[in-house]
Amino acid sequence: MALSKERFQAFADVVGEENICDDPTMMAAYFRTDFAAVIMPKDPSEVQAVVRLCNKFQLKFRPICTGWTGTFQPGSILLDLRRMNQIIEINEKNMYAVVEPYVTSAQLQAELFKRGLNTNMKGAGAQCSAMLRGHGHLDQSCGADDRNHLAVEWVTPTGELVKMGSWGAVGEWFCGDGPGPSLRSLVSSVVPPSTTPGVFTKVAMKLYHWPGPDKYALEGHSPRYTLREFPSNMMARYYSFPTLEKMWQAEIAIGEAEIALELMGFNAAMVAANITTCNEEEMAMFERLSKEVQGPGFFVIIAGDSPEDFAYKKKVLETIIAENDGQSLKTVEDPELEGILLTQCTRISASVRETFRPGGCFKSIPIMGQRDLTIRWAIGAGQAKLPLIEKGLIADDGGGFFGWGVEHGHLGKTEIFCKFSALNPVAWEEVTKWHREQSQRALEEKYFALTMAPEEEIETKIGPALSNYHVWWNKVLEALDPNGVVPDKGMSWLL
Amino acid sequence: MVEKQRLAEIVGSTNVSDDPTTLDAYSRDISFVNQTKPAYVVKPHSGPQIKELVKLANETRTPLVPVSSGPPHFRGDTVPAVGGAVVVDLSEMKRIIFVDRPRRVAMVEPGVTFAELIPAAAQAGIRLNMPLFPRSTKTVVGSMLDREPVVMPKYQWDISDPLACVEVIFGTGDDFRTGQAAGPGTIEEQWQVGGMQKAPYGPHITAWHRLVQGAQGTIGIVTWASLRCELLPQLQEPYVVGNASLAPLIEMAAWLVRLRIANECFILSSANLAAMFAEDWPRDYLRLKAELPAWTLFYVVAGYSYFPEERVASHLKQIAALGQRLALEPLRAVGGLSARKIMKAAQATCPEPYWKLRYKGACEDVFFLTLNDQVEDFVELMQALAAQVGYPATDLGVYVQPIVQGTGCHLEFNLFYDPASDHEAERARSLASLATTTFLDAGAFFSRPHGEHARDIMNRDAASLEVLKKLKGIFDPHQIMNPGKLCF
Amino acid sequence: MALEDYAGDMNMCCRCSACKFIPLQMVKGFKHANVCPSISRYNFHFFSAGGRLNLGVAGLEKGFNYTPWYLSSLYNCQQCGACDVSCKYGMDMEVLLPIQELRIKAVEDGHAHPALAKVVERMAKTGSMVPMEGAGRGDWAQGLGLKDANQEKVEVLYHVGCLTSFDEGFRQLAQATAQILTAAGVDFGILGQAETCCGGRAYEMGHKQDFLTQAQKSLEQIKATGAKTLVTSCAECYQAYKVLYDRFGLRDDHELKVLHITELMADLLSQGKLQPKKTLDLCVTYHDPCHLGRLGEPWIHWQGKKVPGDRFIFDPPKPYRRGGGGVYEPPRQVLHSLPGVVLTEMDRIKEYAWCAGSCGGVIDSNPEFAQWTAEQRLEEAKCTGADAIVSASPWAEKLLKTAAGNGQCHLGIYDVVELVAQAI
Repeated sequence: MALSKERFQAFADVVGEENICDDPTMMAAYFRTDFAAVIMPKDPSEVQAVVRLCNKFQLKFRPICTGWTGTFQPGSILLDLRRMNQIIEINEKNMYAVVEPYVTSAQLQAELFKRGLNTNMKGAGAQCSAMLRGHGHLDQSCGADDRNHLAVEWVTPTGELVKMGSWGAVGEWFCGDGPGPSLRSLVSSVVPPSTTPGVFTKVAMKLYHWPGPDKYALEGHSPRYTLREFPSNMMARYYSFPTLEKMWQAEIAIGEAEIALELMGFNAAMVAANITTCNEEEMAMFERLSKEVQGPGFFVIIAGDSPEDFAYKKKVLETIIAENDGQSLKTVEDPELEGILLTQCTRISASVRETFRPGGCFKSIPIMGQRDLTIRWAIGAGQAKLPLIEKGLIADDGGGFFGWGVEHGHLGKTEIFCKFSALNPVAWEEVTKWHREQSQRALEEKYFALTMAPEEEIETKIGPALSNYHVWWNKVLEALDPNGVVPDKGMSWLL
Repeated sequence: MVEKQRLAEIVGSTNVSDDPTTLDAYSRDISFVNQTKPAYVVKPHSGPQIKELVKLANETRTPLVPVSSGPPHFRGDTVPAVGGAVVVDLSEMKRIIFVDRPRRVAMVEPGVTFAELIPAAAQAGIRLNMPLFPRSTKTVVGSMLDREPVVMPKYQWDISDPLACVEVIFGTGDDFRTGQAAGPGTIEEQWQVGGMQKAPYGPHITAWHRLVQGAQGTIGIVTWASLRCELLPQLQEPYVVGNASLAPLIEMAAWLVRLRIANECFILSSANLAAMFAEDWPRDYLRLKAELPAWTLFYVVAGYSYFPEERVASHLKQIAALGQRLALEPLRAVGGLSARKIMKAAQATCPEPYWKLRYKGACEDVFFLTLNDQVEDFVELMQALAAQVGYPATDLGVYVQPIVQGTGCHLEFNLFYDPASDHEAERARSLASLATTTFLDAGAFFSRPHGEHARDIMNRDAASLEVLKKLKGIFDPHQIMNPGKLCF
Repeated sequence: MALEDYAGDMNMCCRCSACKFIPLQMVKGFKHANVCPSISRYNFHFFSAGGRLNLGVAGLEKGFNYTPWYLSSLYNCQQCGACDVSCKYGMDMEVLLPIQELRIKAVEDGHAHPALAKVVERMAKTGSMVPMEGAGRGDWAQGLGLKDANQEKVEVLYHVGCLTSFDEGFRQLAQATAQILTAAGVDFGILGQAETCCGGRAYEMGHKQDFLTQAQKSLEQIKATGAKTLVTSCAECYQAYKVLYDRFGLRDDHELKVLHITELMADLLSQGKLQPKKTLDLCVTYHDPCHLGRLGEPWIHWQGKKVPGDRFIFDPPKPYRRGGGGVYEPPRQVLHSLPGVVLTEMDRIKEYAWCAGSCGGVIDSNPEFAQWTAEQRLEEAKCTGADAIVSASPWAEKLLKTAAGNGQCHLGIYDVVELVAQAI
């Protein structure tokens, strides 16, 4: 439903008429939601002004960066942050970069590579915002989630501009916590699905050393770019193991040895998806790799800061693999494919092949936390996928799940998804049922609890199971959002 | 005021004291904080007891001041700011709940000291990422909750590290568990399926442990905490690099951290090293001060299970190249002080007397966070301020600790003084005060504000302050948790 | 195919935003990561391919509502195909084709863009996309003694194109082309005054039927010449004859090899029939025209049905055009062969080149946007440090020259043909 003339003009006075659209026809371009309007502010002061107007008019609002996923309330305002797209600062001496919401991870990483630096890339893809609270393939050596945020600039639900940490205290970006207790306690996400109330307008991201080339020398044409020259101080391999337990032991040993730049627990289906350029090729490759792998496995990239360092890491890696009866996948030893995986799994440029290419739809249960615990849960969730595969409702990935170590195995990520056709209502229903059952099982068997759920479930089941966090969260939200402009109490859950 | 009897009903009569000597001891610390006597000191022994205490405090509007470490205290945060307070001394909650090698995590009650946990962790093959030479009475939880910097910046991925999860009794009297510990299930039930309370984030998009850290007891009282631990190396090679100027050492430290080739890594001034390692006072102290270079970078290169010698060798080669580039030479000893000796000390607690008290008997610290490339400027500024008030520059203790994998430094000035001398005490106090206000204006980030300037520091960003106050209103609506501290 | 036939493709859009950027693997820095001029200029998601596909899905479900914003989204799109390339880096689905169908549908529903309708009307009446500025179409060839293909059969027909024929600034391009062909001993003819428009731009403007009608006229002419090879120096004409005519089965009964002049020159150079001798002393960067590059990739004829089940796959398997099969190397080979010419590449090249702005009718429907697009390309060219930007499309060059003139940019702007003509 379009805004009233008065409200439209009030917003247009802030951002300019060319940066606001309340044409109901166009909302379908964004999400299947009847937004009141899409508004594009260009800087924090415009964000503040728009948020204040939302408060005045009691309009709910939600920000997006590139805006991949989310559920939204009809009649709400969508803040499209595309015009806030600058890298504010790269500080090599203090290992941080400050970005606005619409700087993509690809852009930031490409700039950092030139300086011998790197940032953590989100597994969803390099087109995602560089400032997202996210995790991905590089978590092993590049940390994850809000642990990669330093200072944050945040517009609260009432439109105040909060500069956290050193940014507010002394105008520097290197620390987001203090003085005193940290406001990063409250707000760590950026955009849907789990959404901070308010808007992040800038974030300082922690950076990491990059021993690789300043840019990859690639040749060929889309969709197959290959490395002209493989960096002599890097190696990429996929290893499979006879049992899940051996895979886990190898994974944790690699973490503790601190040798991996990347440890990505792809299953064979994901490797097949990543290295192939179309669905048919993927299916054939999956069949081939399924015969090659002896069981579950993971993909590893090692990178040396010196020839000796590289030789050492390689030796340790091979020792650990041998100790756990692991086998290197011959297909990945092919230099061309090794190069493809190296580049695509550091840039995270092709993860959409692993998720949406088959049917345009995918539904996932991702858990960040204690890896060995979540692996145990995932085994059952994978087995529960098999009947859906047999019925032809989801893409056949052997019932696989995947994951990886975070911070050299201190923490971990496990994820399991179903890929299916957007046009198949039966698939939707079955996958949704699978999702619900497995989430429920995780809660009942005390592995973890997903907090992306309908409000009623949070209030009655999930919140009470998690120290009644929802009670505190509701109080916090009430204090921060007296006019109720944060949709869904700062939670939204994937359909 | 709360009745003694009611306190005794919760913790037992032997654990409630209103003895004047006891109260006097808790009414002050080494800092220049105003002395205020508590009404009682209580020593609970369990989370449920603490919960009851907080509920009682709400009912009677009694201020509570939590403390876990033993004396001497230095920051003033454990001294009541208002009258009629009850000090909740957690030092007798000494359970090491678990130490888990596979997940590299430990869980402890608030009264567990570093001295107690270090051997327990070592038995399991793991170690702690520790603050620098903590006193023997310093508790692990107390240190982590104060966000004290740790000596292995390589292993500090986030400023909250090594803290993982906590159980906290909020100022409302409600208990809450953060991170993975929140649930589902009790922690015992989580253990049954193998959950070990290590992941710090959540529940949901929040990071509740960050609210409790840095709060100086103004949000709630922690009843236990889990912390991430690191592996015990199989091989350790400590080195020192001495230099007359600081900047090259900071650059070297930055690279050691960036390349992740040093475990322990910090820089100390000669005054501090002398205070830490002099054995025969005052001769040793004076000799060390004279013979040590102005600045010493200390670091350890380590090898673990797999080919430790080769790992160390490859790192040493990289360091040699680094040293060449910066015209610095790593050595095994400097000024007669061996790197191995420093290493042993850095991996243990400080034997009595606490090193900060050895030189003169007291010490006032000025510390803050800053950028790597601003450290030298602040040191020069401090030297100028010291000259201004007549504080001898050669007595100035300086500690530079890279933090959070190289994203900045903790910079600390230790102002030693004789507490029996009013002149020295006042000089130290005024230098600390002058330095704080000067540094604040020059861009120093006092992330852990203490003392007379805490309120000014907290007020720097009005919008942040507003939000903090709202949070305080939620978690401690009756303002019973350590009132008068920070901005509360 | 009609829009409905792309419902499955449009529903495949998962809203990842890859269509806004060059293939992520090729991003080399903060600058020059964007690939879609439309959203780069106008920012709303509905100016991206993903946004348009979502609108297509909604339209098919609930009906199309041609509001001003909707029409703006539809017509402020160069249809350059960059989104199609970027999406297909990861996905198996059509992107540009349904976007083109959305515009065709709009025209069929009576919502043609007035400026474009005027251009198409002119084409239908006069056989030219551009105004005829008093001169005749074949005047550029006066005095050159070229074979008249209206009078005698020819093996090779040089199709000049409307802009090159009528625009004063570009007639010398036709003359240079003729000079080169003559120097290389190619036996070719021209249609001169009688030449008519290929119709390709009309298709992109959404006027599909007008395109088909015009295409028939052009083909009849070409057939009458007996030519087995058509060579053109216009990238858009190239794409029309090479791809569109093939796609719509217009060439089914007539064997015709379609070459761009750069392809022919590369061939002639390799055979030694062209021998550039003069040293030019020029550092250049090359702009890949959309119609010669990704849009010029040969059409793949395929018919099949979706395989029931969890994947968007077909029987027989559907081969997708992903942009890699365009004409990229021949122009580069030609430039490399010119003495004293050094080629330095921009960040966005080949199948992920930034459009110069003239495609999709935008040069007529929104000249300001077209020029803005060209300005971005010039800025990128300047970053290479080159003396000049060279292309193989008079439409692109025209817009680049306009943009350069306004901003007083000092980059030279040439066609490949011009440099070759200078060098021989």
